[in-house]
Amino acid sequence: MGRYVIRRILQAIPLLFLFSIFMFILIHLMPGGPDAVIFNPHLTPAARAAMRARFGLDDPLPIQYLKWLGDSLRGDFGFSFANNLPVTTILAQRFPATLELFGSALAFALIFAVLLGVIAGVRQGTITDYTLTTISYFGISMPIFLFALLLQYIFGVQLHWLPTSGMETEGYTFDAFNTFLDRFLHLILPMIALSLLFIAGWSRYLRSSMIEVVKQDYMRTAHAKGVGPIAALFRHALRNALIPLVTVVALDFGSVAGGATITEGIFAWPGMGLLFLQSLEARDYPVLLASLMLSAVFVIGFNLIADILYAVLDPRIRYA
Amino acid sequence: MDISEQLKVGLSEEEVEPFLAETADLVQRRRSQGRIIFDRFIRNRAAVVGAVFLILMFLFCFVGPFLWRIDPNQINVANVNETLAGPSWAHPFGTDDVGRDQFARAMAGGQVSLIVGMLSMLLGIGIGTLIGSIAGFYGGWLDNILMRLTDVVLCVPLYLLLFVLSAAFSDGSPRSVVLIIAFFSWTYAARLIRGEFLALREREFVMAARTIGAKNLRLMFRHILPNAAGPIIVNATLLVGTNIITESVLSYFGFGIQPPNSTWGTMISTGNEFVNTDAWLVFIPGLLIFITVLSFNLVGDGLRDALDPYMTER
Repeated sequence: MGRYVIRRILQAIPLLFLFSIFMFILIHLMPGGPDAVIFNPHLTPAARAAMRARFGLDDPLPIQYLKWLGDSLRGDFGFSFANNLPVTTILAQRFPATLELFGSALAFALIFAVLLGVIAGVRQGTITDYTLTTISYFGISMPIFLFALLLQYIFGVQLHWLPTSGMETEGYTFDAFNTFLDRFLHLILPMIALSLLFIAGWSRYLRSSMIEVVKQDYMRTAHAKGVGPIAALFRHALRNALIPLVTVVALDFGSVAGGATITEGIFAWPGMGLLFLQSLEARDYPVLLASLMLSAVFVIGFNLIADILYAVLDPRIRYA
Repeated sequence: MDISEQLKVGLSEEEVEPFLAETADLVQRRRSQGRIIFDRFIRNRAAVVGAVFLILMFLFCFVGPFLWRIDPNQINVANVNETLAGPSWAHPFGTDDVGRDQFARAMAGGQVSLIVGMLSMLLGIGIGTLIGSIAGFYGGWLDNILMRLTDVVLCVPLYLLLFVLSAAFSDGSPRSVVLIIAFFSWTYAARLIRGEFLALREREFVMAARTIGAKNLRLMFRHILPNAAGPIIVNATLLVGTNIITESVLSYFGFGIQPPNSTWGTMISTGNEFVNTDAWLVFIPGLLIFITVLSFNLVGDGLRDALDPYMTER
């Protein structure tokens, strides 16, 4: 097992290299550069040339890449073109917001997915099952941004129950309890919007998992031994059915550093996704590269964690 | 009876007729494989509903403009009552802020959305089949390299990659959007097909074909691929739905189709500024996207059930 992990980590390194080259090339293929978007339009040509030289924009691409690579490997991801803050500081500022949104959406989705999946799987073929699967069908057929707009419209615009954007109310400072309440209210809609796709996908997965598990011999043994239906459900069926789901959840968690981009865009949630959209617009190369690399590290890392989890939870799985 | 008679399973139409009246349920007509699949599909009510909706949607988008003769790009600001009008008999989906009829725009947008979705699926499945079949059939270092290649693309959450690709390459035409979405689609298809080929190449029929002298290429495309066709078809159908959603997300954020072409996604983004007062501008195209994708998903799942060889014959 340990050797498998080490081999995977060693395989991940060239992958990250290739990926960084691929992204570097793509980013520099985008039309316009930072000087079209960010630089002061009144700069004299001499000043403009000086700015470009300062950011290293005139070096040939391979040199730029190697400079970036050398600095990054030493932990220096450069400074944002847009506001001259160190990139690591910007990422550190934005990441907790995304983590809050993504983490709560995942937790919320997990609860609902397990509920829906278990009920639908246990009551397979009945009206309950039919209704729940229909709901999950609706979930995967609806674009996230449409669902987000719908939530904003119903709960924000029409009912005025919940705020429609941002993480907290601007311009006010509340005491501790009201700050918490304010942020919680702001979190609800984006969290529900983001969790829809997860709930729909995971509940279908868990449902078919439960259907498989319920047919197994050990369930029949438990029933024959006199284990009650609820105990059999929780202690035998659910534990086995949850194993593949756990790996799927781990895989989906890998998208944390950028998977919420659409939701953050619509709800103006100040996280990594919104940062990505803004720096894409502004052609802010250092920030773009750093956030893409961070996303890749998370995705690859959680892919590995998912595989390890699967082997840990299911002793029948053995890796070479 | 000689062997060819014994091999005939079931009865043909003429032989069955005389007995139908008495023993209708005992007699099993010989059906072709396609007919069996079709019958199974028909029995799945949800899938049939999906298929009907799809047919209606295609008729709406492609035949509709011949029947509903208002020009979708016709701007009409002269009469202020004609702008931002709600649904009415003259304008079943209302009008937007410059007086364009939303019903006609929905048809035009639907054409682009559907075509982009299907073309990108075809391209993605085509490339994915090529790469997946080579990787799955030959295995070894070729498989390794090709799978590493798909890994590089799948390294980041999907939309990050799509946004960067669009910013780098797209000129807003449907053609570039098709190419960009296909770029993501092929990785998924390649994985799937590689798995199928890995499983199928060990089967006896491959060994048998090889024994009578079939070369690799022929084996791949004449023998293995038709057997892998089932999951490919199912995933192709589901992929169209996914691609339509992807295209609408791209268009909504401004990375996809640009004017003068319009799709349901661009209709949503232009209607978004009026959502407080004229919500139908956003939610009618949204509903159309939703129904279309739902129908593709229902049909895809129906096909999956109909093609599943382990389901007992009902």
